[in-house]
Amino acid sequence: MKGSVFERLPNKKISRKGFVKLCGIGMASLALDNALLKFAFGRDDVSTGRVVKRIKGLHDLVAADGIDPYAITVKAVEAMGGMGRFVKKNSVVLIKPNIGWDRSPEQAGNTNPYVVGALVDMCFKAGAKRVNIFDNTCNDSKRCYENSGIEKIAKEKGANVYFVDDWNVVKAKFSYKSPMEGWPIYRDALECDTFINVPVLKHHGLTGLTLSMKNLMGICSGNRGLIHFDIGAKLAHLTDFIKPDLTVIDAYRVLKRNGPTGGDLADVFDMKTIIAGTDPVLCDAYAAKLMDKDPLSISGISQGVKYNIGSADIAKADVLIINA
Amino acid sequence: MKKLILARRFSQVFFLSLFIYILWSTGRTASLFKIDPLIAILTSISERVIIPGIIFSIAMLPLTFIFGRFFCGWVCPMGSIIDGLGIKAKNRPLNLSRIKYYIFGFIVVLAFFEIQIAWVFDPLVITARFISLNFIPSFTLAMDRAFIFLIKLLNFYAPLYDFYRGLKSSVLGVKIYYFPHSAVTMGFFLVICAFLFITKRFWCRVLCPLGAMYAIIAKFSILRRRVDECGRCMKCKINCRMSAINEDMSYKKEECVLCMDCIYDCPVRGTRFGWPVKAAKEQGKAAISRRDFLFLIASSFLLSGFKNKGASGAGKKLIRPPGVLSEREFLNKCVRCGNCMRVCPTNGLQPVIFESGFSGIWAPHLVPEIGYCEYNCNSCGNVCPTAAIPKFSLARKKEQKLGLAYIDKDICLPWSQNKECIVCEEHCPVSTKAIKTYEEIIGGKKIKKPYVDASLCVGCGICQNKCPTRPERAIKISP
Repeated sequence: MKGSVFERLPNKKISRKGFVKLCGIGMASLALDNALLKFAFGRDDVSTGRVVKRIKGLHDLVAADGIDPYAITVKAVEAMGGMGRFVKKNSVVLIKPNIGWDRSPEQAGNTNPYVVGALVDMCFKAGAKRVNIFDNTCNDSKRCYENSGIEKIAKEKGANVYFVDDWNVVKAKFSYKSPMEGWPIYRDALECDTFINVPVLKHHGLTGLTLSMKNLMGICSGNRGLIHFDIGAKLAHLTDFIKPDLTVIDAYRVLKRNGPTGGDLADVFDMKTIIAGTDPVLCDAYAAKLMDKDPLSISGISQGVKYNIGSADIAKADVLIINA
Repeated sequence: MKKLILARRFSQVFFLSLFIYILWSTGRTASLFKIDPLIAILTSISERVIIPGIIFSIAMLPLTFIFGRFFCGWVCPMGSIIDGLGIKAKNRPLNLSRIKYYIFGFIVVLAFFEIQIAWVFDPLVITARFISLNFIPSFTLAMDRAFIFLIKLLNFYAPLYDFYRGLKSSVLGVKIYYFPHSAVTMGFFLVICAFLFITKRFWCRVLCPLGAMYAIIAKFSILRRRVDECGRCMKCKINCRMSAINEDMSYKKEECVLCMDCIYDCPVRGTRFGWPVKAAKEQGKAAISRRDFLFLIASSFLLSGFKNKGASGAGKKLIRPPGVLSEREFLNKCVRCGNCMRVCPTNGLQPVIFESGFSGIWAPHLVPEIGYCEYNCNSCGNVCPTAAIPKFSLARKKEQKLGLAYIDKDICLPWSQNKECIVCEEHCPVSTKAIKTYEEIIGGKKIKKPYVDASLCVGCGICQNKCPTRPERAIKISP
């Protein structure tokens, strides 16, 4: 073995024509490979939404009160029949908390990190293969993920916490006429076996309260400000598109004024409640009731009832209240 | 084995990598310029304040007194880049090294007249600006695009995608920075590199004012070159990248950057560097003659026209970083290093080109449509090497007003089309909301129409950034 690799290469000259040919063949074969790969593993850029499973819990809705946010989350989900009911072995779970703002947990702008942590633990106990967590944030995403405390706790418990990629989206397609038609939705929100929606209950200037349906705006890409026009119907259609399997509303610390950003601790009060349910509209309605608001005055809920996505009739529902 | 040359190259690569690493990691960027006496001392003179960390740069001066211009040959990132690119460049003798003293003199004289233009020619600043505004954005963009290509077009999801996500939150950065006007900084840097077509280290020999500053001290430095044996082959003289070696084998100490080439160029190995055995006579001519010096002082007055260009009215069109009070003081203190633009988490701080006059070029301003000022963030003040952006605690930074928002009712959706929107109110970070709303019932629907409470608005620009109207935003910040 003498000399370097380059010396051992055949010393062959290539003509201009040969070079052009070689480039052509190379590019053609790349394109062909690409087409074949796309044919074999390609993913659609259009989606008609998640496949419905309609798993029912033991109750329509559970509200658990207590001092420890982790413990009451576990209690609430166990009363619904346990996480094993919603998460199958070796499945992929998406937990969608609210990490929208660069706020600390005390300021109640984001979902309580311990609630998220409890859900991650329960999912892995139920045999989940992978737990994904992300949100399309309003403030700088790195600061939101860090200061909300969610990234740290969820990563410690083994979940995949990552930032959204605006190139990895699918376009929403509806079987009926919808203002959300063609809206870009992050692919991972659709390609999961179980979707757990974990909003925080807080005040919101436009919709009155921000709840589980509003929390789904975090899986939307694009110019999201435009969703605010005719927001009730848009959120109802979005909820129908995603069909969350489980909704867990964090009403542990509640921002009652100047939401959804808040920032002043005087605006926060402790309600120390976790609401869990399978019907997103019912969960929202119950949370609105907790805040002494007429559920139907919130456009998302009234439109959800109108489009028959869920029920807002709390009196008729099977509600279990636990005091821990 | 050319041990000393290897050591020098290692040192150059090490400091250049360190320089890039510090800028990339954005943690301690302010400390970079603390070792730059030109920037630290001249900004202090022109603003009549002691800028923080000046002690480190003053510490560079006694080191230079001992070793000579070691900084230029062994540390300076610009010198390393020029050496790296110029390996194949031709070396020609030049007799222009006086020019750099004129440039240095201009800068010093202007500093006494309260005009700070050290940033135009300081090599650390030029390199930092190039790395922050050109190199890092384009490098990360290329990496990001390569990953997206592999993942999306070739369908390598799963493990590679997770790896990419990990990179994104660590090395690559969540946001790929983009500076629309950075071609100008790139051009400036390329021109300096293009001087290599003339000769090696043209910049360092002829133009660099920091080099001139060190040269004045290095003239009296202790470490010196000695020729014990000489065959008069002139190889060292021909190859010297600073043309520091004279015909009689003596050398201009102020020009030597201790590159160590002459030791190994010598066929009889007669050259070495060492400490003086006994006091040697001063060699060589003065770097700048008395007549030239007087001429320099006189001609500096001509440049006084520079002064106040940026401060007069024109500058008020721009939204400056938080805490900046006086436009004149800001432009004088700012050395255009690009640190603040590199750390701004939203990419909102952008270099000005000519909007605030010639003297305002490359200073930062906020462009809300690209990125807003993050309410809970005071990074720009923390990394500013000359405190042009004051270093404020978070609580104090939140009180700083960058400007004031106003609503264009002809574009605003609730005002002009009775649509529900108030995205601006939703995002307003002030805890009692600087954007309030009127409620109006139109066609049975409650529509909230926003207005700005001027006493609360801090002008952070998130409302303009998030406003959904296109192409023009309905809410804008005026400085």
